[in-house]
Amino acid sequence: MLHMICCVKQVPDPETPASQFKVDEATKKVLPVPGIQPVPDEYAILGVEAALRIRDAVGEAKITILTLGPEAARDAVKHALAMGADEGVQLTDAAFENGDSFATARALAAAIKKLEPFDLVLCGRQAPDWDVGVTPSIVADILSLPCITRASNVKVSDGTLQVERVLSDGFETVEASLPAVVTVSNELGEPRYPQLKQIMAAAKKQVSVWSAGDLGVDSSQLGAAGSLLSLDRLYVPVQDVKCEFIEGETPEESAEKLAAKLREEKLI
Amino acid sequence: MAPSVQFPGNVFFYLIFVSALVFFAYSAYVRIYLLLLGKPDLRLDRLWERIVSFVPLVLVIWRVIRPRYWYSGVLHLAIFWGFMTFQLNTINFFLEGFSDDLSFMSWASAPWLAYFPVMQAFEILTLIGVVMALARREIYKPPRLSLNWDARIILGFIGILMITDLFAVAFQIAIEPFSHSERAFFSNAMAETFKGTDVDVLKAWHTTFWYAHLLDFLLFLNFLPYSKHLHIFTAAPNVFFRRLQPTGVLQPIPNLEEQEVFGVGRIQDYTWKQLLDGYTCTECGRCQEACPAYNTGKELSPKEISHQLRQQLLVNASDLLPVPVLNINVTGERGVPLTEAMGFNPIWDCVTCGACQYECPVFIEHIQAIMDVRRYLVMDEARMPETAQATLMQLEQRGHPWRGTPLGRTSWIEEMGDVPMFDGSQEYLFWVGCTGALSERNVLTTKAIVRLLNQAGVSYGVLGAEEGCCGDPARRLGNEYLFMLQAQQNIELFNTKGVKKIIASCPHGFNTFKNEYPQFDGHFEVIHHADLFAQLVKQGTLKPQEALAQKITYHDSCYLGRHNNLYDSPRRIVAGLPGAEAVEMPRTGAQSFCCGAGGGHMWVEENPGKRINQERTEEATATGAQIVATACPFCLQMFEDGIGAVPEAAEREIKVYDVAELLDMSVAPASAVPEAAKADPPQGQSEEPVQQ
Repeated sequence: MLHMICCVKQVPDPETPASQFKVDEATKKVLPVPGIQPVPDEYAILGVEAALRIRDAVGEAKITILTLGPEAARDAVKHALAMGADEGVQLTDAAFENGDSFATARALAAAIKKLEPFDLVLCGRQAPDWDVGVTPSIVADILSLPCITRASNVKVSDGTLQVERVLSDGFETVEASLPAVVTVSNELGEPRYPQLKQIMAAAKKQVSVWSAGDLGVDSSQLGAAGSLLSLDRLYVPVQDVKCEFIEGETPEESAEKLAAKLREEKLI
Repeated sequence: MAPSVQFPGNVFFYLIFVSALVFFAYSAYVRIYLLLLGKPDLRLDRLWERIVSFVPLVLVIWRVIRPRYWYSGVLHLAIFWGFMTFQLNTINFFLEGFSDDLSFMSWASAPWLAYFPVMQAFEILTLIGVVMALARREIYKPPRLSLNWDARIILGFIGILMITDLFAVAFQIAIEPFSHSERAFFSNAMAETFKGTDVDVLKAWHTTFWYAHLLDFLLFLNFLPYSKHLHIFTAAPNVFFRRLQPTGVLQPIPNLEEQEVFGVGRIQDYTWKQLLDGYTCTECGRCQEACPAYNTGKELSPKEISHQLRQQLLVNASDLLPVPVLNINVTGERGVPLTEAMGFNPIWDCVTCGACQYECPVFIEHIQAIMDVRRYLVMDEARMPETAQATLMQLEQRGHPWRGTPLGRTSWIEEMGDVPMFDGSQEYLFWVGCTGALSERNVLTTKAIVRLLNQAGVSYGVLGAEEGCCGDPARRLGNEYLFMLQAQQNIELFNTKGVKKIIASCPHGFNTFKNEYPQFDGHFEVIHHADLFAQLVKQGTLKPQEALAQKITYHDSCYLGRHNNLYDSPRRIVAGLPGAEAVEMPRTGAQSFCCGAGGGHMWVEENPGKRINQERTEEATATGAQIVATACPFCLQMFEDGIGAVPEAAEREIKVYDVAELLDMSVAPASAVPEAAKADPPQGQSEEPVQQ
């Protein structure tokens, strides 16, 4: 039976009003906004949707949801289970905290390895918290699997993977052998709305919780300790908009003044 | 003497009498059995009110005789009372059919003879009613009616029933006048014209009309269960067992978490009372004539919804009953899912404005019937328009329906500063609502309300970031589960904070807190700001002073007006503005026309057709008003959009304000003119540079 693993993530609400978004520059942390709860990353949820569509097409498949994050991150797993996924695994450990894409990928790859046998790993194209979008590629690299990014359509037939992927100027369709890692883009369409019965069933489902020890990865490879990147400064950029009207008697005069101004500002 | 008392007439009489009764009993059994398949719903609260109101609502058919439908009212009154009075005659007719000794004439001749002229008058009245009804169907043909043979047959039966009786009595008098036969004044006059005819011929005619009357009555009785005119039997119980709560209330699903199916996916999942609604609908189409969706070219017709209630029950009857079912005059398709029979689009077209229910003479509950299917679509099948899905997802994840708003719940508080937080020491909780806090235009109303509350010295506090969604959008979009969670959460919060009284600025929240939270044991005293401010103006606490010399038309919000009977307060506020001239739209008060935003439609894409808000804006524009006043944030937004879409409204720069904003403009000293008014700088002082 086809086994698909979907990596999901709970993120600070990307639709937090800009006026409410605040960071603490001293601790280099994003401050939670009162009354605004974290939400599941929509790209990752589309990965779950892609898996469900594959299952609808092939008839039988197992879908496991994997997340890395604190207790509260379980909401994303529960949401994916409510959509129709079968099992959930959550990686929670102090050792995972504050990791960059590399450290996180090591933990995810180890968990995926532990979930073997699997055929397909589905992720969102990028999470809207840091918008880096490289973790799935690193996971694929660690597991020595093909990686196809920004999918708009994912199909599995006769043991092969067909992926339509989004390019800047169109689409391309590629094939790969299984197992593989695929990241899904918003062009896939809308994720399904969970049926109430499934929401209730998901609420009752147990989500396995694995620590760093369960993965058998040295904690020096994980979290802040295993990160290759370091955060120098976190701040909200100040956007200064200055509006100036160029006056002139005639259109020619206005244009001349505008050109002079632009040259003065070294814009042309 | 009735021709049935001698052989062979008696054999014939007994035969058809018994077989007619047997067949009627079968038809009634099928229908009652089907009704009892429905879910239980005890409708005996406020029993005394039900009994007392039976007189005007059933005996005087008060809701049928609306001024707008006076013609139908008059003809119904004539037929209804004529028919009712006539039934004494029917009883006598059958008694007489068995034996002359049983007839009223033989053992109660005095009252019977006194009844005679009354009966004959009512027979004539009934015939007039029948002619009026036929004229309406065949000549005037109002589009709201379903013109079909059903009605013609029924009217024919009733007409023939009266005519055959008048003739039978006339021939009887002509054969041998009985004592005081002049009291049957009409038949007596007819008998005069038969004078000189051979007695045998007269007897033959009498026998013919007597049997014609008998057959007509029994056929009529047996046709009724197969006709939409079954309302003759069901209207009275349907009115008696009507819901006495405000029409804006949706019913909870008991033990929601233990249900197998959510909402109504099969016809037998409705309650018995909802199925009775189906039997009772006569397809008069008044609901359809008032429906904003139908009137703007959408697929929904509330008449079709109640029609389907009956059709779906009867067409699937053979799958539900242990006996074979005879299906005559049933048009539905058997075995089709209810969602298909009702239609996906119609189910989503409904704005829950309640105009249909207000118009229905027999209190059919269209909204709940539609919402039950919507619940099934959402919770069971997860099938809904994309925009509805996005809204529900948004409500679930972010606790408010305004996706992408640049505002936070406390943004307006930060801008105003010094807004008291509710801590249990104040009298009122001012519930700002999602729209009042998160939609830029409606924040202006919220600020006006706060200024007025401060000015009047009202003791109040707000919840700020702790406020969530009241639950109205989730409930109206069919996600009862989400609504339940939101309601329970709010009730817990209110109880923890010590909330007793709530000021609501949105009629939807107002309705939900006031009428629906008690379903979850949340009991609070709820007041809408229009009500509160009208009181404060009356007391002299708030004094409108600045002149607002404009023509103003007030638009009734469905959830304030029709659903909660609050029509006067906002009008009193408008009327109290110095210099203001209040004008009314043609559809006003209880017959107001929805803005198009109810039932979750503030966020759900409207199906193809004219936009409802455009229709309403045109109506407002035609009054000549310069200002449209509302008391609902959704109506306000719908009019803002509508004004942009109606060229005349845009050209005349019609403005829409909440009554609180208008009051604020008039009460506040000139220095504190609200932003809503400032947003429209006087001509000649435009700050925009002149473009070349």
